[in-house]
Amino acid sequence: MIEQIKLDQVTFQYPGAEDPVLRDVSLTIEKGTFTAIIGGNGSGKSTLCKLLNGLIPHYYVGDFSGEVTVNGLVTTDEKVAKLSEHVGYVYQDFENQLVSPHVLEDACFAPLHFGYEDYRERGERALSLVGLTDYADEFIWQLSGGQKHLLALAGALALDPDILIIDEPVAQLDPQHAEEIYHILKKLHEEYGKTIIVIEHHTEFIASFCREVIMLDQGKLIWQLPVVEALQKVDELMQHQIYPPQVTQAGFRLNQAEQAKLPVTLAQAIPYFNQQEASFRLNLETEMIPVEHEKKAIAQLEDVHFSYKTITRSRNQVLKGIDLTVYEGDHIALVGNNGAGKSSLMRLITGLVKPGQGNVLVNGTNTKEVPPETLADFVTYVYQNPEQMFIDDSVRKDISFFLKSRKVPNYETIVDQVLEQFDLVDLQERDSRLMSGGQQRRASLAIGMAMNPKLMLLDEPTANLDIATRKHISALMTKLKEQVEAVVIATHDMQLVAEWANRIVVVHNGKVIHDGDRYSVFGNAALLARAGLKAPQILELSRALGLNPPIFTVDAFVEAWNKEGSKHGVYA
Amino acid sequence: MEYTRKFTDKLSVEQMKIELLNTAYGNGDTLLAKLDPRTLFIWYLFFGITPWFIHQEPILIGMFAFMVVLTYFAKVSPLIVFILCMGLLGQGGYLLIVSLFFGGDAAVILPLLTLTLKLSVISLASIVVFCSMTPEKLSDGLLKIGVPGQVSFSIAYGYRMLPTLLEEYHHVFLSFRLRGKAPSKRGFLYWRAIVYFCKIAILSFYPLLLSMTKRARTTVEALETKGSFYGFNHPQVKKLKLAHLKLRKRDVYFLTFSVVYMVAVCLVEILL
Repeated sequence: MIEQIKLDQVTFQYPGAEDPVLRDVSLTIEKGTFTAIIGGNGSGKSTLCKLLNGLIPHYYVGDFSGEVTVNGLVTTDEKVAKLSEHVGYVYQDFENQLVSPHVLEDACFAPLHFGYEDYRERGERALSLVGLTDYADEFIWQLSGGQKHLLALAGALALDPDILIIDEPVAQLDPQHAEEIYHILKKLHEEYGKTIIVIEHHTEFIASFCREVIMLDQGKLIWQLPVVEALQKVDELMQHQIYPPQVTQAGFRLNQAEQAKLPVTLAQAIPYFNQQEASFRLNLETEMIPVEHEKKAIAQLEDVHFSYKTITRSRNQVLKGIDLTVYEGDHIALVGNNGAGKSSLMRLITGLVKPGQGNVLVNGTNTKEVPPETLADFVTYVYQNPEQMFIDDSVRKDISFFLKSRKVPNYETIVDQVLEQFDLVDLQERDSRLMSGGQQRRASLAIGMAMNPKLMLLDEPTANLDIATRKHISALMTKLKEQVEAVVIATHDMQLVAEWANRIVVVHNGKVIHDGDRYSVFGNAALLARAGLKAPQILELSRALGLNPPIFTVDAFVEAWNKEGSKHGVYA
Repeated sequence: MEYTRKFTDKLSVEQMKIELLNTAYGNGDTLLAKLDPRTLFIWYLFFGITPWFIHQEPILIGMFAFMVVLTYFAKVSPLIVFILCMGLLGQGGYLLIVSLFFGGDAAVILPLLTLTLKLSVISLASIVVFCSMTPEKLSDGLLKIGVPGQVSFSIAYGYRMLPTLLEEYHHVFLSFRLRGKAPSKRGFLYWRAIVYFCKIAILSFYPLLLSMTKRARTTVEALETKGSFYGFNHPQVKKLKLAHLKLRKRDVYFLTFSVVYMVAVCLVEILL
């Protein structure tokens, strides 16, 4: 094995920061490995990666000590330009990494500016590696989010670096596209021998694709281990707010004493649990509760069509005849792949956009007849990107904005309550835009909550969050159920869907193709495949084990298993 | 109601974004768009400046006719032409009112028309040139005539960022609407509604600044790793980048035709 990357006692402190963001980190990464870097928010993951292409210390001139060697080059002695030929970097906010208006131009940008004669061929080759050849002449604005991500990857590949760093590759993608990008990374790793480093929160992807794991906490290296060993450390991972794959969690909780090797993938889990107790099969009563639709309708969409103009002045038909009624007490998860029309559907309910055909009624009012300001008394829409909701210079002012503009008496008390509920009391004077991702998300939910809506619409409330923050948000969402008459979320987060929703609406190509609950959705393999969805791992496990009814959460799985176990005296 | 709906549809932020992008990138296949940027620079240097020094109406009218024809062939977006007309009419009208107010009479109309004609020629020439060049082409052209790489790149990049900027602005603007309270009465001539929209239109700029700064950070880092700063300092990169710029026969034809046309117009003026 060849040492490709070597960090020797590296400490780094950003200018103006009070504490070092990396402390005395020494590690080695071998050529041709597939490494995941994990750690909570602020653990120094991105900083570590920026050391490798020389952005630190050349671009960020902070307090740097130690030595970083990449492919035999000491980063302090080389320029960023030179190191870029060895290390490609794809950012988390990859959209800002695209600098040219056309796809091919963007892919060619780096080789052209480094003066390669064959820059065009390099760009074309990079596009074909990520499967974007057919889009070479498109404008980057016409690409979907997933395609933009692939283009950013192609831009990094154009210089043919040995090492690729990808910061949170699947954060903004639906489950199907997430798999796709990992398969591309796998191909680059296996067929082209690239060293791949990902910063990743999703341990299920780590288990399926990575070879080794580096864990950081508060700037320190905790350990660097082969993937199976790393994911066995369930206790330690949980302590650092990282959640192992669901099957590993289940195995761990059912098997604490024996210390056997826990499964980390579904394929390993099936024989593991079968072997544990092959003789019994659970058969609990179905807890299916039919959703009663005699309740009050809060929002109605009647044969709604919606289209928008594209850059080429043609119209893009997003929704093609949607009929949907939201009732009091509904907790709807709106699912479907990127571009299925979920966000458009929500924006129609807010009245920000009007349907081209058909009607949208909110609380009995047709949205065509009133401005969105009027509907805001009933409906709240929380954007996918919290930053777009921050219109004032502190959290407190942002939360007060709605109440103040409507001259609600004693609004300060309401604001205080909301701040308390969303754990924002200490942050209330901060500028929302300067907070971390998780804090921003809490603030955006708090803003929505303070509007005291009847219907709350949330666009991807758990995207881009580390797992701990995600759990926190999920808990807050459960509280929301009690305070709001109906909640609709658009999400790719299938765990959230399985645990939280009492009604699931599947949107595909601008149409509602299914309206049911978690049993009818996750029990229908054809539907999942068509809409690009993926059932939570624990559910797939329970199904593979022949459990009926299927189980949706790790807690339920452990409980069911223990109950059966004690009945049979296995774990007694 | 139907008319206002149609009108606001044309004025929506989405629509503006589309027009802007089409003006910048959409006309790649017109006759003018196939010319070398240097040809367009030379052409613009003449038609953008000389109208100021010409006082003979027939020549100006001749130039104006030429511009109108070219505007048609350059497939300039109707919205841009509309805005231009409004601007010219507004300008002329306002000067007319001011001069009448200060005791002028009908005699001022003719000089005002001449001025408007000059402005029209210059504006149309600018529109024709800039609609026929994508920002990349403009940037390459500037680089070729010796403008520093940083400057020419900023122009191309600025344009690339415009749609993102507009979109971000739109989001913030809508946030204000989703949480704000529109005036319950519209007031005389909608003045309350207009004040309300103007207010949030201005307020929306502040959040925009910070979010764009954050985006720019990634971009600047990415540019560093993509070698743009390396490229600025290495002449062979510039050569590689500009290898596709060539003066072709059609450039010569176009310039020759423009010269012949202007000479003809001047001859007509003298003969008259």
